[in-house]
Amino acid sequence: MQLAAAAPLAAEPDDQPAYRVVTRFRPAAHLGMPGPFPGRVIRVHAENSINAETDAVDGQVVRKMLAAGMQALTGERRPLDAWAHFIAPEDVVGIKINCSGAPQIRSSPEVVAAIVDNVMAAGVAARQIYLYERFADQVRSVNYPKYLPGGVQVMAAEGDFARGSVLGYDPRTYVETSFFGEDDTRSNLVRLVSDRLTKIINVPNAKEHQASGVTGCLKNIAYGNFSNVARSHESEKTFTYSFIGRLASVEPLPSRVVLHVMDGLAGVWHAGPFSRSRRFRFYPKQLMFGTDPVAMDHKLIELIEAKRKAEGAVSIFDRSREHLGDNSNPNFNHFIREPGHVEYAARFGLGIFDNEKIRLEEMEL
Amino acid sequence: MLLFLAAVLPGLFWDGPPDTAPALREAGIRRIQVSAAQAAAWNATDGLSIQAADLRNTVTALAPTVLYRPNQASATRAPWVVTNGWRILRNPQGRFLYEVKGPQAALAAAEAFCFGGDALVHPDRAGLKPFAEMIDFLRGLGEAGNTPVADIGFVDDGTATAGEVMNLMVRDNLLFKLISPPQGKQNPGVKLAVELGSRNFPLEDAKNPDMMAHEIRAKLTDERRSIRIYGSAVVVARLTVLPGGVRVHVLNYAGAERRVDGLRVRVLGQYPKHRLAAAGSPQEELLDYSADADATEFTLPELKTYAVIDLSR
Repeated sequence: MQLAAAAPLAAEPDDQPAYRVVTRFRPAAHLGMPGPFPGRVIRVHAENSINAETDAVDGQVVRKMLAAGMQALTGERRPLDAWAHFIAPEDVVGIKINCSGAPQIRSSPEVVAAIVDNVMAAGVAARQIYLYERFADQVRSVNYPKYLPGGVQVMAAEGDFARGSVLGYDPRTYVETSFFGEDDTRSNLVRLVSDRLTKIINVPNAKEHQASGVTGCLKNIAYGNFSNVARSHESEKTFTYSFIGRLASVEPLPSRVVLHVMDGLAGVWHAGPFSRSRRFRFYPKQLMFGTDPVAMDHKLIELIEAKRKAEGAVSIFDRSREHLGDNSNPNFNHFIREPGHVEYAARFGLGIFDNEKIRLEEMEL
Repeated sequence: MLLFLAAVLPGLFWDGPPDTAPALREAGIRRIQVSAAQAAAWNATDGLSIQAADLRNTVTALAPTVLYRPNQASATRAPWVVTNGWRILRNPQGRFLYEVKGPQAALAAAEAFCFGGDALVHPDRAGLKPFAEMIDFLRGLGEAGNTPVADIGFVDDGTATAGEVMNLMVRDNLLFKLISPPQGKQNPGVKLAVELGSRNFPLEDAKNPDMMAHEIRAKLTDERRSIRIYGSAVVVARLTVLPGGVRVHVLNYAGAERRVDGLRVRVLGQYPKHRLAAAGSPQEELLDYSADADATEFTLPELKTYAVIDLSR
């Protein structure tokens, strides 16, 4: 069947599967998402934050961007007070990095190190801070420990075990569904999140994603915290539209994810998230801040769309089958993208999608 | 009263000359079966029990393994599990002969035992020790019978199509037993009766056996499945009846090359007690065990080739 070439924003696929959510966690009195600043997005741009020729990041500039962004988000004059909105000394803090495009595109170690310094300045001991991801090989390729104070722990859910192992996941917290008749119908939450962390800071990248359209705050929370998720996008038809928001809304994530710092120093505008072709990399040279992942991802959609338009590539909302194919050409893709997952996630109360209600503040350093 | 059929330990078929006896003994082999022509020559060998094998009417079994074929297009990313389970269930009186190499000998022995097949395993020299170790493990499990727990009653018409549907049901951990065609409103004693060519299971659909297996699963529903496996696409499970409980069998078809790190198992029914025996992992203990009103769940930390978990009330 020939589908419409340019479906409107949030065209909803009508065949979404049923999900069964199993969790023993109850929502906190004050949710982390959308948190105290729903609909608010801070964008800090610094031209000299990264060298687009060498990919070298200026750590000092990044620290200034981080301070400016956090102060603008919270209205505090001192960075320490800004961080105190989210982190207390007794917290065990997880920093959810993104290394799916590593080593080229990943949560920059300079950004992560600056966040760790601020968390420690808020009184959290190094041993109570965990950088974590799902796959150890991707994390190792970045060498985060080189940038971090001693004692900070770097972990991967499938690190100590073979890839695909269930041992790093919580067997009692999962979402169950069948997409394509797969026999393993469960996606389980990272055990570290269940058992140890009290707060999570989300540090995604600014990337297009072949299946979900973009991969920003929501997808890093969802697919980055659950096992067995690639099953949702094994062929051109995917279920990323509803799966991402469904996963991100499973407690304890909405309670514990308290802050998002989107690393947009470098990004991917096509064939994401892996960015094996330098041609599809770009340099927005920005960090985005917020507590509302939906609003932030809406701004990410706009960022990716603007870049694709400038490159003459079709919209990520294009659902035409004639554009399925070899994605070395930016007008082709292996999947029908589902950027509508961002709007869909708003249904779970994770944030605000309506642009009229989103308050974007842009800063230049 | 439940009828328990004793599971038979697989035998070792050996076609090497008598001067290979030291290698057999060193590997831990205590009894072998040889061709009738060689029996006389072997009978004088010390330290081994010799039996003449009757190879007439043996059914050749495939070497159990997993074929990943990452460079071939396919309808699914699930690896292809080569199992003889369905052949044994189709032909419970048959005698099966496995020609295997190295650690596959252990997997072959475990598979035959798990499905209650009468089997001879013919390994190469590298397979002698794994085979002997597996036989020791199986012997240690003791008599437990081999009466299956089945959710599905399958009417086997003997066709290749029916065979392939059974193969896929085994691979998909859809527990079945063979039944006669249901007569009228007679209850075949299973949750779902499947007869290819019937109104519910048209032959036309069975032309794609994978699709048929999915239809069977959908009609049964996952909630009513007696066993579910999470965390691996290369593990085949079976349930057999124990007095006051069930025995869970799990076979890792990739076990000759790699272990499974973590397997979550769900069994219908509340079984607060358990006993684990895992081949090659004698100290292993189950993790995250729960026995709720509707189901029992646990995690097996590692699965090398074969493990059994006896669940009881």
